[in-house]
Amino acid sequence: MTKLIKYYFLIFACFIQAEPFQSTYEPLPAENILIRNANIYDGEGNEFIETDLLIQNRKIVAIGKDLPSTNDFKVIDASDKWVTPGIIDIHSHMGVYPAPGVSTSSDGNEATSPVTADVWAEHSIWVQDPQYALALKGGVTAFHILPGSANLIGGRGVTVKNLQRNTINSMKFPDAPHSLKMACGENPKRVYGNRQQAPSTRMGNAAGYRKSWIQAEAYLNRLNEYESKSDDAKEMGYAPQRDLEMETLAGVLKGEILVHNHCYRAEEMATMINIANEFNYKITAFHHGVEAYKIADLLAENNICGALWADWWGFKHEAYDMVQANIAIVDQALGGKGCAIVHSDDAIGIQHLNQEASKALSAGLRAGFDITKARAMNWITSNPAKAAGIYDQTGSLKVGKNADVVIWSKNPFSVYALVEKVFIDGATAYDKESDFQPASDFDVGIISPNKNRIEE
Amino acid sequence: MNSSKKVIFIFLIFFNGVINSESTLIQNVTIYDGKNNDAFIGNVLIEDNKISRVSTSNLRGDLVIDATGKILTPGIIPTDTDIGIVEIGALSVTRDDSSDLYQIGFSIYDAFNPNSVLIPWNRSNGITSTLTLPQNTDSPIGGLGSFFVLDSNIEISGSKDIVMIGRVGGSGGKSRAETFSIIEDLLELASSLDSRDMETYKEIAELIDDSPIAETMELHPRDLQALYKLVNDDLPLIIDANRASDLLKLIEIKRKYDLNLIIMGAQEAGLVANQIAENDIPLIINPINNIPESFDELAANIELAAKLEKLGITIMFNAPRSHNFHLVRQGAGVAVANGMSYAGAIKALTLSPVEVFNLGDRGQIAQGKIADLIIWDADPLEPSSMPEKVFINGKDVDLTSRMTRLTDRYTKNKEKPNGYRN
Repeated sequence: MTKLIKYYFLIFACFIQAEPFQSTYEPLPAENILIRNANIYDGEGNEFIETDLLIQNRKIVAIGKDLPSTNDFKVIDASDKWVTPGIIDIHSHMGVYPAPGVSTSSDGNEATSPVTADVWAEHSIWVQDPQYALALKGGVTAFHILPGSANLIGGRGVTVKNLQRNTINSMKFPDAPHSLKMACGENPKRVYGNRQQAPSTRMGNAAGYRKSWIQAEAYLNRLNEYESKSDDAKEMGYAPQRDLEMETLAGVLKGEILVHNHCYRAEEMATMINIANEFNYKITAFHHGVEAYKIADLLAENNICGALWADWWGFKHEAYDMVQANIAIVDQALGGKGCAIVHSDDAIGIQHLNQEASKALSAGLRAGFDITKARAMNWITSNPAKAAGIYDQTGSLKVGKNADVVIWSKNPFSVYALVEKVFIDGATAYDKESDFQPASDFDVGIISPNKNRIEE
Repeated sequence: MNSSKKVIFIFLIFFNGVINSESTLIQNVTIYDGKNNDAFIGNVLIEDNKISRVSTSNLRGDLVIDATGKILTPGIIPTDTDIGIVEIGALSVTRDDSSDLYQIGFSIYDAFNPNSVLIPWNRSNGITSTLTLPQNTDSPIGGLGSFFVLDSNIEISGSKDIVMIGRVGGSGGKSRAETFSIIEDLLELASSLDSRDMETYKEIAELIDDSPIAETMELHPRDLQALYKLVNDDLPLIIDANRASDLLKLIEIKRKYDLNLIIMGAQEAGLVANQIAENDIPLIINPINNIPESFDELAANIELAAKLEKLGITIMFNAPRSHNFHLVRQGAGVAVANGMSYAGAIKALTLSPVEVFNLGDRGQIAQGKIADLIIWDADPLEPSSMPEKVFINGKDVDLTSRMTRLTDRYTKNKEKPNGYRN
């Protein structure tokens, strides 16, 4: 009898420990492909001219000149064209702030309490958002969806494949780690200060994060204490009750959940680094960071990426000190040890991240840095992949990685470059030539019954 | 040279570091003249504030700028900005773009700040003048925009109240049918106005008392004066509207009241493009915006500019992104990538705003025009390109901005604490 109880308990324990909301992603049907004679930025800082790329069983298997192929491969002549890894946006609100931007699906900010570590952006996503397909035509193969910045701790983010599906689970990027959105500065103090509650100041913000981490440490101690008990002792007592908020924060302290921190001002980023050190967690990236250039070395020393715009500024005071060389300065910190990312935070920007990178690069060159286009391509491919925790799977054209590949009509640093083909896991997701493109259910018959929205 | 002129001359040498030449020649440059012509290589002579010669043959000038391999365009004129009236979006104390009191005759002209940091930044990106517009007021038509030359003189140079704005479309709580009725009621009132009855505020106040719509909306004499200008002085009226059916209704209103109508936004213009072309209505569109952001904009399409151009519709561009109004260039580049002609895109950025809004002798590289000119380091429609030289009113303006200063601060002389750097 006892054995039976123990058996059931074990099953139960396994059940509660299984990761909920797992990815059920299945790729589109794929062929083996040889892309012939392309100019390539590989996302690792390299440029290859008139080079072949071989895709087999959904993976990149070779990159080199005059690769041999068999009849099993579909050959695509990419002469005079450019090939890059799939573009990755580390800061998107597609799905949680979908289009049309109506109140009934404005689901990105749980602005009812300054700490909502218990909410998950993925539970807000509207899978029929017509914006995914537009981003796909900009070469975006994966993106990281975050809660908004109303809260000090806004909840979990999620990384998805850019393949619109009927469930969120089936869009989730397999094995991508969870993330946590935190926010500094004007937004949380404005949202809650206007309601005469904490935080209403930047010092209130800092106190708010620290109080939460103190709770999380205590929770984690209780959890560890319980886990360190013998099986018999565990049976005698009760397991600590689950706490959604604390599970997320403890996940950060355990290093399993990546912190993405909205923060504009230099001194606030430095304060957040202090808080991270105090509680022994790591900040993966500061987002927006209009003043990141002022502390670029500090970011590099702490191995923190700057996920930045090329030129946004002025919409609030903490965004007043914009320099267009921000991204380049962060990239070049400590002699090139910085991690720079061009992010969008915008459904138009995500379609043109190549152009945003181009502006950031040219500003860097004007500021006197020696940066190649091949390196700048990392800002929208491998660096965001690293920050999303999916670099082992995608983000560059390394042999063995997923075949997430974009073919461009021209050099992607030109405004005239159009995406011609997008492959996700070796499968064609978009093909301009044959007009093969997805349309969400929202797009169907909405202006005239016989057409899709985009055909108008 | 009399003594006071001598003093000025010396002042210029010492403090500007530049001798005011009699004339400047931009030599051997690839010219996009703004008038939808193909590019040609030629020479442009600037004398005083004007373009005195444009020629493919050799010209002589006191100061010669060899611009071989470079592109020359007229200065860019964005038609939908808040340059000079909004410094920081989220800081209401720095905003001068709205009125609680005036609805139709609200003028932003006197609020313009020539020292705004937006001006050097946008200018260094190729913007030489701007049409600055207020926020929409409580009235569906109302609020007056002005034209400003971004020469950074502390005295404003521009043209006051040269355009009225308005908006129709979906809004929470009231039908767009009500909006159209209000517009028609206001235009009926405007059509009935006689300048002889409007000589004093007292007279105008009586007219307001006699008009149900004016009384209901609690209009002020300034509002009625603006309405009068709208129908009697052919004042351009920019209406922000997107849904195809709204565009058709606006065309009907334009015809009925003979308005000088420009439609902005126009996301669904592609569905009624023939009607827009037939009625010769210029459009201000953001060619990079293909987001169906509302149910009025479902037909948003990245190929809109190309489609409109083919029908001969006059197009201008806007860029909604806060503070970076120069990004009309990137939008224009995207329009060209998606089928618009290159010269057409340049015209949309330069001459079209001048023709539509009567901005005088600007926006074109031709003899006698005011010399607002940009020499670009590369293709101006590539967002990576920047101006090498910007001339406004014939003057070679300094391209330093707060942004270039801050960049220098954090890339040069870093051994000093930042507070002690330049």
